[in-house]
Amino acid sequence: MRVVALISGGKDSCYNMVQCVEAGHQLVALANLRPENTDELDSYMYQTVGHQAIELYAEAMDLPLYRRTIQGSSLDTGRDYSHTPGDEVEDLYQLLRTVQKERVEAVSVGAILSDYQRVRVENVCTRLGLQPLAYLWRRDQEELLSQMISANVNAILIKVAAVGLDPEKHLGKSLAQMQPYLRQLSKKYGVHICGEGGEYETFTLDCPLFKRRIVIDAMETVIHSADAFAPVGYLRFTKMHTENKDTRSLPSPIRTLRTVVI
Amino acid sequence: VNFTIDQIRAIMDKKANIRNMSVIAHVDHGKSTLTDSLVSKAGIIASARAGETRFTDTRKDEQERCITIKSAISMYYELSNDDLAFIKQGKDGSGFLINLIDSPGHVDFSSEVTAALRVTDGALVVVDCVSVCVQTETVLRQAIAERIKPVLMMNKMDRALLELQLEAEDLFQTFQRIIENVNVIIATYGELQGGPMGDIEIDPIKGTVGFGSGLHGWAFTLKQFAETYAKKFVKPGEAEPTSEEKAKKVEDLMKKMWGDWCDPSTGKFSKTNPDGKFVRSFVFFVLDPIYKMFDAIMNFKKEEIAKMIDKLNIKLDSEDKDKEGKPLLKAVMRRWLPAGEALLQMITIHLPSPVTAQKYRCELLYEGPNDDEAAMIKNCDPKAPLMMYISKMVPTSDKGRFFAFGRVFSGIVSTGQKVRIMGPNYVPGKKEDLYLKPIQTILMMGRYTEPIEDVPCGNIVGLVGVDQFLVKTGTISTFEHAHNLKVMKFSVSPVVRVAVEAKNPSDLPKLVEGLKRLSKSDPMVQCIIEESGEHIVAGAGELHLEICLKDLEEDHAGIPLKKSNPVVSYRETVQSESTQTCLSKSPNKHNRLFMKARPLEEGLPEDIDKGEVSSRQELKIRARYLADKYEWDVGEARKIWCFGPDGTGPNILVDVTKGVQYLNEIKDSVVAGFQWASKEGVLCEENMRGIRFDIHDVTLHTDAIHRGGGQIIPTARRVLYACQLTANPRIMEPVYLVEISCPSDAIGGSYSVLTRRRGIVFEEGNITGTPMHVVKAYLPVNESFFTADLRSNTGGQAFPQCVFDHWKILDGNPFDTASKPGQVVTETRKRKGIKEGIPPLDNYLDKL
Repeated sequence: MRVVALISGGKDSCYNMVQCVEAGHQLVALANLRPENTDELDSYMYQTVGHQAIELYAEAMDLPLYRRTIQGSSLDTGRDYSHTPGDEVEDLYQLLRTVQKERVEAVSVGAILSDYQRVRVENVCTRLGLQPLAYLWRRDQEELLSQMISANVNAILIKVAAVGLDPEKHLGKSLAQMQPYLRQLSKKYGVHICGEGGEYETFTLDCPLFKRRIVIDAMETVIHSADAFAPVGYLRFTKMHTENKDTRSLPSPIRTLRTVVI
Repeated sequence: VNFTIDQIRAIMDKKANIRNMSVIAHVDHGKSTLTDSLVSKAGIIASARAGETRFTDTRKDEQERCITIKSAISMYYELSNDDLAFIKQGKDGSGFLINLIDSPGHVDFSSEVTAALRVTDGALVVVDCVSVCVQTETVLRQAIAERIKPVLMMNKMDRALLELQLEAEDLFQTFQRIIENVNVIIATYGELQGGPMGDIEIDPIKGTVGFGSGLHGWAFTLKQFAETYAKKFVKPGEAEPTSEEKAKKVEDLMKKMWGDWCDPSTGKFSKTNPDGKFVRSFVFFVLDPIYKMFDAIMNFKKEEIAKMIDKLNIKLDSEDKDKEGKPLLKAVMRRWLPAGEALLQMITIHLPSPVTAQKYRCELLYEGPNDDEAAMIKNCDPKAPLMMYISKMVPTSDKGRFFAFGRVFSGIVSTGQKVRIMGPNYVPGKKEDLYLKPIQTILMMGRYTEPIEDVPCGNIVGLVGVDQFLVKTGTISTFEHAHNLKVMKFSVSPVVRVAVEAKNPSDLPKLVEGLKRLSKSDPMVQCIIEESGEHIVAGAGELHLEICLKDLEEDHAGIPLKKSNPVVSYRETVQSESTQTCLSKSPNKHNRLFMKARPLEEGLPEDIDKGEVSSRQELKIRARYLADKYEWDVGEARKIWCFGPDGTGPNILVDVTKGVQYLNEIKDSVVAGFQWASKEGVLCEENMRGIRFDIHDVTLHTDAIHRGGGQIIPTARRVLYACQLTANPRIMEPVYLVEISCPSDAIGGSYSVLTRRRGIVFEEGNITGTPMHVVKAYLPVNESFFTADLRSNTGGQAFPQCVFDHWKILDGNPFDTASKPGQVVTETRKRKGIKEGIPPLDNYLDKL
């Protein structure tokens, strides 16, 4: 099937693409929803941090990228969803409608456990006659994380929002570096290892599907809310580029330029 | 007499003839010497050394300090047929096994006393007949609450006669008053008659009161004197009466030998003293002969001595015959009224056997339903499933290992047996705090231990192989559906703490290991690691801590230590309801908790401490209790989510929401946040006390994945802190009840010391018959490190005794750094290495 991949920049949407390709599907386009004037919407649906680097995804994968700015907000937050004008879900509908000109038949979605997301993506897909492809759905999280790491999905943490995760310590760390600690937190507080409860978000710098890899040259840490026990913070990329994967470049030194507190 | 293990094991099967008992008394009321006279009569050391070697003081520092700490010993004693007739409960032959658990007398150790009480059924309460003390009351209260039957021993009678030179009638009055005091305590915390334990009032005419001198090795009850006189009244030529008839006669005579009067010329008894000519019969029959003996010997009236010795048929050793004065007095009294005999008779006749005691103790001991197989401990049946309670850990000579010491309530525990080891947090049906392991059984006798194959119910035993699985106490069973035996409640709390560190930093691992061992070996001490990395040892008082630290330094860790000055623990509470409904959002901003705090009703935190209201109680019973006593709404009382900290503390989390979706799914996370917050309050991370938190509303993400522990736990903690901050938070300090005994000329000095240290005197009185006065006062623990000050102000004549009494709000606003509570907050935060100043509310409170 011809597939459009919904991408947030994170590891799950990326790994689901890998699975789509392995299953014999053909990726023809990328789609992404971006926030307006802000980095973090605290959206119920979409990961928005890291949106600055999404453009590079198209370059890295050599595919057309469709983007739309999120105009709606979370209006219908119930378990089920029905068509609600002005809801952020409608932005997804509009976005996928535009992508339909690429003659796509299916949508790649990186949801693992969030019924909330599943219900809404299914709603939009049914209305457009598209087939959702979610290979990660209901997979064991611990196993999944190990698979991603061994499949060379190179992603770094760009947002943390859970007890035990500290912006100062954990932002910018790779999945492989975080894995043991995430396991601990899962045991201690029931933190979801893959961050499905919004505990953390990631950005993929490289994966087997990338023709070029993404390099972040500069970024800054933003403290979103300075909670007493679970401070929320994320990374804002300020300078980045892609580079040829053949060139054996030195691991690019990622430097935090400054810390901004909002 | 020595006994082989096989012989002891054989007696263990005769459960009606077992007496598990402890000796409880104030420090230095002569308990250990008394214990030794028992041992010398029944057990292992020779009689000559009784009173001088203290068999139960196994530790050197105990011997030096004269404070006995941890020991148990088994004794064998045989009653004559005549004596057996006095026993009103079941019996099985004439040999008795007496398991004696010695316990420390100092208040700081009353946790040890509690541990001892749990495994015993009866207690020998020793009081100094020249003064009664606060410690005795504390311990007796505990004993009655555990349904331990008491008998009383009036000790140090030698001092009343020799030093205070009390008149006989005055001494009788003193005894009478002490007995009344003890019965008042029994009546206050139990029922004198008609309660579940039957008649537990102590009374000389029943033979439940002993008199004597442990140091001199003599003692008696009315039974001994009644027997002598009963023999005299037997008319020559009459047929030898049966044991039962004799016992009846002696008992009748005992009834008249205490408060009644008698005509000295005829020896006739009377209930009244109409014309003042009669003498108190106790004085006439009992005290007079003793006074005469004392008088004759101390005044060297040789002829009279010889006459009396002959008359009383006292056989002296040839070496004793040459003695004079006090040594002779000791020798004579010891022969005439041997303490071991009198006390062992009192113990075997009046204290209950496990069979008798477990009938009424079962309902207090067992947490499970009262009709399951494990509840059959009320039958004390060796064929039933094993139920055993571990009351403490005793260090072995093998460093770092412990014997688990406890009592078998039903079934038989044997070496090699695979048992269920259940810790205090075990819940039937779950796997937490449960281990299935084989064990070994050993017999513990003072400083010796002997392996023993098995031990049946009703006995006390040590286990090997349990110490890795239990921290301090626990239940051992073979019954799969067994619930726990109830955890002991301590009447004291660890309110004084010191920080310790290794002098040599590389010894840190040894220190950590040593702290683990220490916390195991002492039932109450708490070893805590603060977030700052500081190691804290908390105990009941200065002395308790001192001993703990000595153990730690010399035994458990074996390394030199640096110790901080003792610091007092505080509590955080609130004085009014939160001024607003507090809201906190989860990190992903998709979940909201709305809560409020308010103070618990007066008396409720104490009820929780005592276990009157507890997390393990049946829901409806608890709700009814709270509604009746504290006017709670019954509906709300049924929706208590938990207690905290540690699941049992004096703070309550209540769900007052109305029909909120998914609420139950986040319960565990909110409870976890509550346990955390109530352990470390917002002011200075001390435990909270007396706060009720109400969950008013929550809005949750519809998807379970977005409301996991990672999101809810920190949010719950934040909203609880916001609630505390908006509810007029206060600091509470612990307060001691301090009792100072001193001569009248030192009272002024005592008062001035107390007043200077914020003490409040509430009682002062003279101890009748002595020149001593007792001053009782409430004194903040923080001000109680004052022994030196008191000594210098009273010329060393005043003796203070402190026992933790209650928590009291420290007046003043903790936010005002100049106020007393403000200083406490600042100092505590500094000590713990947390950021200066109470964090502002907006750290915890979110806007809608």
